[in-house]
Amino acid sequence: MRAKMTSFEEIKSQWKDQKAIEIPNNGHKIIIDKVNDIKKKQKQTNIILFLTILVLIAFFVYIAAYKYLIVASALLLMIGSLAVRIGLELQSIKKLSRLNVNISASSFKENIISYYKNRVHIHLIWTPIIILIYSIGFVMMLPSFKASLSSGFYTYILVSSVVILVILSFFIYKQIMKELSVLKELTDKNPYL
Amino acid sequence: MKHLESLFEEVYQSNYQKVYRLCLGYANGDGMLASDLCQEVFIRVWKHLASFRNESAMSTWIYRITVNTCLVYFRKKRTLPLPQLNEPIEDEIEENLYHTKEENLNSLYACIEQLSKGNKSIILLELEGVPQKDIAAIMGINHEAIRVRIHRIKIELTKCAQK
Repeated sequence: MRAKMTSFEEIKSQWKDQKAIEIPNNGHKIIIDKVNDIKKKQKQTNIILFLTILVLIAFFVYIAAYKYLIVASALLLMIGSLAVRIGLELQSIKKLSRLNVNISASSFKENIISYYKNRVHIHLIWTPIIILIYSIGFVMMLPSFKASLSSGFYTYILVSSVVILVILSFFIYKQIMKELSVLKELTDKNPYL
Repeated sequence: MKHLESLFEEVYQSNYQKVYRLCLGYANGDGMLASDLCQEVFIRVWKHLASFRNESAMSTWIYRITVNTCLVYFRKKRTLPLPQLNEPIEDEIEENLYHTKEENLNSLYACIEQLSKGNKSIILLELEGVPQKDIAAIMGINHEAIRVRIHRIKIELTKCAQK
């Protein structure tokens, strides 16, 4: 039978009496390597994004899309909306990693609430606008697709785009709900810190 | 850089146990989660170590980073099963003692889990024996208010642990 803890002092002594955990061998070295790895990966991501934009611009020039107003506008809308979305996401990641943890918990909480409010703002205002602009660009491209692609491939593009949009919307919805619940937990559960 | 690395090694060695225990409290006694959180804390300690200015004690500084790191840590609720009170008694005294300790700790984690994040931070620091003045500085709440809150949480926690 479990002996109940009857006073706070007893609780405190139980807490202090916990089995000591073994300190990982070379743990500090692992941490330093991990930080270096993260920095390296961030650099690689930036290079990949930069190269993607370059490839898209090259493709745009290669197919001489600027000669056809509708195709050019459609491509610009699609690429532009994607670029804005990626930019917003990168900015958020940077902002989160730069949050100063060396401040009091109450100030930190205020900062983190402001961060999540900004995230919700992005999800509820910017994301629908971006999806709408991307879809407009895509619809504008459809006549060119129809003219230059076989009917089977055209149907494939049409159907897959709808499926992708539905799947994407589902994931965005899940992410929004997750971040909203985080915000709710921060603001409701702890009326004060 | 070498000096910073050896300072970090020292900080890591002398604070790992404390940080781990605190993380374990946030993680409802889940060792794997506590290790992940602990790693996250030390990543931040390493990133900010060069900017540490001795304005507070190193341990207070690390506790502050731990509390803030755990504050942004959200996970699916996982409840440790509360110990069954009528389980068979072990034959060996030592083993029995070990089980009792484990059960008490699990029940304590479950009680801590029921607190709000702010109260959780405060009581975990109190359990670690951090002076109330330092808890006030870590939390950004005035000393008197912390004293009153600690008193309230102690009563709440003791009541829960008695169940």
